[in-house]
Formats: sequence, structure tokens, C-alpha cells
Amino acid sequence: MTTSHQDDAVRPAPIDCEVAVRRLWDYLDGRLPEIARAEVEAHLESCAHCPPHFDFARTMQRALAASSPPAADGDEDQLRERVRAALRRLADESR
Amino acid sequence: MPHLADVARFARSLTRDDARADDLVQDTYLQAMRGWHTFQLGSDPRRWLFTVCHNMFLRTIRREARYVDAPEDDPELDSLATAKAHWHATVTGVADIVERMDLGAALDRALARLSEHHRGVVVLVDVEGQSYEEAADVLGIALGTVRSRLFRARRLLQDMLFDYARDAQFATARNATPDASADAARSTRDASHPRRDPG
Repeated sequence: MTTSHQDDAVRPAPIDCEVAVRRLWDYLDGRLPEIARAEVEAHLESCAHCPPHFDFARTMQRALAASSPPAADGDEDQLRERVRAALRRLADESR
Repeated sequence: MPHLADVARFARSLTRDDARADDLVQDTYLQAMRGWHTFQLGSDPRRWLFTVCHNMFLRTIRREARYVDAPEDDPELDSLATAKAHWHATVTGVADIVERMDLGAALDRALARLSEHHRGVVVLVDVEGQSYEEAADVLGIALGTVRSRLFRARRLLQDMLFDYARDAQFATARNATPDASADAARSTRDASHPRRDPG
């Protein structure tokens, strides 16, 4: 009996698909409390429907992380000069 | 000039336009110079510059009269809707098309179509990799607002990816139609004028 109670204490409660997907982004962002995260993970291990939703969301997040627009070579130097010149003008005007 | 590369990247992500981004970077540093006294010693100068940059971005949008007030979002419902939309896309085969698409290019188009509020938060958290707390600080909004805008933004981005995939599916089907018609016409013609077997 004691062992069973101890198991209940650590075993995540079963959750249904709706509860799992309501936690989708919080789970992927690592912002769920430990118990809620364990409940989602236990659900994903036994559910045939939910894992593809989580996988796709994760794929989209990775693509977003890689989507930062690159600067063309030399653009940053030009921009730096342009900003410096504007700052100099501002400094001159405020004298 | 501190953090210019970071501010320039953030500006490009916000504006999705190189010329407008350069203008925004210039405006950001000018405003930072004017408002230097508002910088709190010991705080993160990069984050402060991001705040100035985002404020200047919103100011430009207001000036161009494209500004829309931030909507109230329900983050958990948005998570649910995201999964439901993916389920529907899976059933209709649209999700398969998205997986074969150039996601980077599609997301670039989709980000440009997001409202300024949603774009700002998704750029900070998902593109720049900042925490919710840092994003809240840069944008001057509550943590809960970061979460709700972020979840709505992601849902909208996913919806746009599915829209692009449906368009591609439709275009493929439409392009296939003339061939199908030609095949049908050819088979009718062949049936009317059967070829004589050689020999």
C-alpha cells in the first residue's frame, strides 16, 4: 500500500488531448511547472494524435530561429558610417 | 558604436525591408543619443537600444497610419487552435506540402504580414532568442501580454504557412487540369480514330 501511494505521488496524472495541446507552446518554451511538463510528456508517449502537432510546432520554432535576415557584406560598415555622420550632425546642432 | 550589428538585425526583422531598417537604425541611435539620460547605469545597453528601436519602429508605423491597437488574446485557446489547425492540415494533406516547402522563405513572407505587435514579440523571442522577461522589458509590456501575443503570433504564422501550402496545392491542381483535359481529348480522339496496329 505504501509503495502504491508513493507511486501515485510521483506518477503524472493522465490528461486528455485538449489539455495537452493547450499547453503546447508553454511546454515547447520550457515554461511549464515540473508536474505539468511530466503530464504532457506522459501524454505524448501514449497518444497517437498529439505528437505530430508538437513536432510541427517545434519545426516552425527552429525555422524561425534560423530566419534572422542576414546583412550583406559591407552593409554594416556603410551603416556604421551613416549613423556616425548623423550623430555628428546632431552633436553639431546641439552645440 | 555599441551593438550596431544586433540593432541592425533587429531592425531588419521588424521592418522586413533593408532601406527602412537602415533608417530605423539611424533613428534609434539618434534617439538614444538624445535620450541618453534615461539610460539607467548598470542596466543592459543592448536591451535598452532594442527598446528604443522598437519604440521608434512603432512611432514610424503610427506616422504612416498603419498602427492597429494591440488585440486581447487568449494564449491557451491559441495553443488549442494551433493544434486543431495542424490536425486539419494533416487530414487534408496540406501539412505534407508545408513540410516540403522552403520554410525559411515562407516564414519570411508570413512575418511581414503580421501586425507590429505580434511581429515585435515573435522576433524578440523566436528569432532573437530572448526570454519572455527580456522581451517584456524591451517592449514595455507585461509578461502575460508577451505570452498571449507570442502564442497568437505563432498561430497566425502557422495559419499563413498552411494558406501558402493550399495556394500551392491549388496551383498544382489547376496546372494539372489542362494536361488532364488534353489527355481526355486525346483518348476521345483515339477512340474515334483507332490506330491501326502495325502488321
